[in-house]
Amino acid sequence: MKNKSVIATVLAAGLCSAAAMQSAMAGESKTKPIPGIPSNSLELFGGKQVVHEWAVALFYYIMLDRRINWMFREFGNPERQIFLNTQLETMVLGGPNEYQGASMAAAHADLNINMEQFNAVVEAAYNACERVNIHYWTCNQLIAALAPFTDDIVTR
Amino acid sequence: MTSNEQGAATAALVRTGLRGAAILAAGLLFSSNAAAGFYNDGKVLLTGGVVTIDGAGGGGITPWATISGYGTRDGINGGLHYTYAYLPNYSLNSYGGTVGFYDRVELSYTRSTLPTGSTFDTVGLVADILPGVVGDTGIQPFNTTIEMDVFGAKVRLFGDAVYTSDSLIPQVAIGGFYKDNKNKELLHTLQAAKAKDWEAYVAITKVYFPISTLVSITGRYTAANQTGLTGFGYKDRTAGGDGGSDKKKELRLEVSIATLVAKNTAFGAEYAQHGDFLDGVGVNLNGLGTAGILSAVADLDLDSLGLVSTKNLEKALTQHEDDWYDLFFAYAPNKRISFVVAYAMLGNITLTPDQHGFYLSTHLTF
Ligand code: HEM
Repeated sequence: MKNKSVIATVLAAGLCSAAAMQSAMAGESKTKPIPGIPSNSLELFGGKQVVHEWAVALFYYIMLDRRINWMFREFGNPERQIFLNTQLETMVLGGPNEYQGASMAAAHADLNINMEQFNAVVEAAYNACERVNIHYWTCNQLIAALAPFTDDIVTR
Repeated sequence: MTSNEQGAATAALVRTGLRGAAILAAGLLFSSNAAAGFYNDGKVLLTGGVVTIDGAGGGGITPWATISGYGTRDGINGGLHYTYAYLPNYSLNSYGGTVGFYDRVELSYTRSTLPTGSTFDTVGLVADILPGVVGDTGIQPFNTTIEMDVFGAKVRLFGDAVYTSDSLIPQVAIGGFYKDNKNKELLHTLQAAKAKDWEAYVAITKVYFPISTLVSITGRYTAANQTGLTGFGYKDRTAGGDGGSDKKKELRLEVSIATLVAKNTAFGAEYAQHGDFLDGVGVNLNGLGTAGILSAVADLDLDSLGLVSTKNLEKALTQHEDDWYDLFFAYAPNKRISFVVAYAMLGNITLTPDQHGFYLSTHLTF
């Protein structure tokens, strides 16, 4: 982490244009599934606290799935990703936009993710819903709200 | 800023330049792991649909725009299917295989066998005892079986039924069947125009996750009678008949709606519009039409023997066709096997009314 911070500072100072580009790509906004998801979806989910618990379960299942866990071990950081996913999922379920991470396109741009790997994360998402005792239909509100990111994430 | 937030912010900055090379290298390292040849089973449970009686990926009677099996755009996945429908006067057995290529192309083969009963037996009996009916009518007094080969192909044109939840664009595919009915003599008796024919369809499919529902609409361009099990089109084959014929294909509507109740379970309903080429058409026993048969039977004066009544014979010799409906329940415990239990309401089938009954189907995918 420390190393990354140092490099980041150097990069940010040295390559203004790159930094500007990056900040333009940062953040995400609410998705608009059709037909819309219920306005109380976050509440149905159990609020931000349960979204966090769900994200913990999500990474538990991701890190057990040999189709994808190596990618997260190599390039991810579960602790940070649980934190950022909690923000992102809280937002797409109708909560406030407090998401501080990169855009989905930027975050996954050079990971070369294929459809099977994406689907593996979706399966982990369903398993996580079951683990946290979120009703399947409520879970589908989350899937509906995240699905529009598919093309940003799957680049292969 | 918490350390998490800091980490997130800085990581976002670093992301672009530095990692690319590392990921490429690691990607190469691991890709042998991820891509074991052409085989792929990376779709989410049930998103490949089940298999129709025609062998295409879809519901029970309606093809969907989805490509059968669990292969994603990166590979190939195959399946074997067997369907058994137990109807009052028939039982349909349909078995075969499908292969999905790169979530783009689907090829299928299905053999349908339909043992018939009751009214077919009646016709067979009449044909046997009537003087003047010579040669093969394709209908025996018992155990008449209809057999048909169905070759299918489907191409996904565009769209993703599952993930484009913020767009109205559905998944759209076109497909076709070539159906080869083996019972030529029988189809002559039923006065179908053809025993072999093709059908084409456009299927439009979309999953609406906010309401956990899949909707699929298919337009099928066909001249089939009862999916082709009783041939295609109509041609008067009686001696002295009007010689009328109609084998022009027409567009028919089919709809499937499925509610997803768990990640491995769906239930729903289907509708398939059918044609009426043979609706109200009688039979032809080697030139003898229904009217001829009735008068020949009258000549035998069976009624006066007090043994049999021929009162309902005309009804028994007149064919009908209704639209098909079914209610289905699909369950996929894993990506290797799925089961469908359905109640099929097929109405009048040819010579027998009220053909409603259970339908069981299993699909093995690998
Ligand atoms: C809808 C599905 C997905 C969502 C919502 C999602 C969300 C996120 C979020 C919020 C981040 C943090 C971004 C940041 O650090 O600023 C992230 C990073 C990451 N994601 Fe995903 N992701 C999804 C699918 C996937 C898939 C399918 C994979 C791979 C199989 C994947 C692998 C990664 C990795 C390795 C990182 C870390 C990148 C880094 O630290 O720079 N993600 N994702």
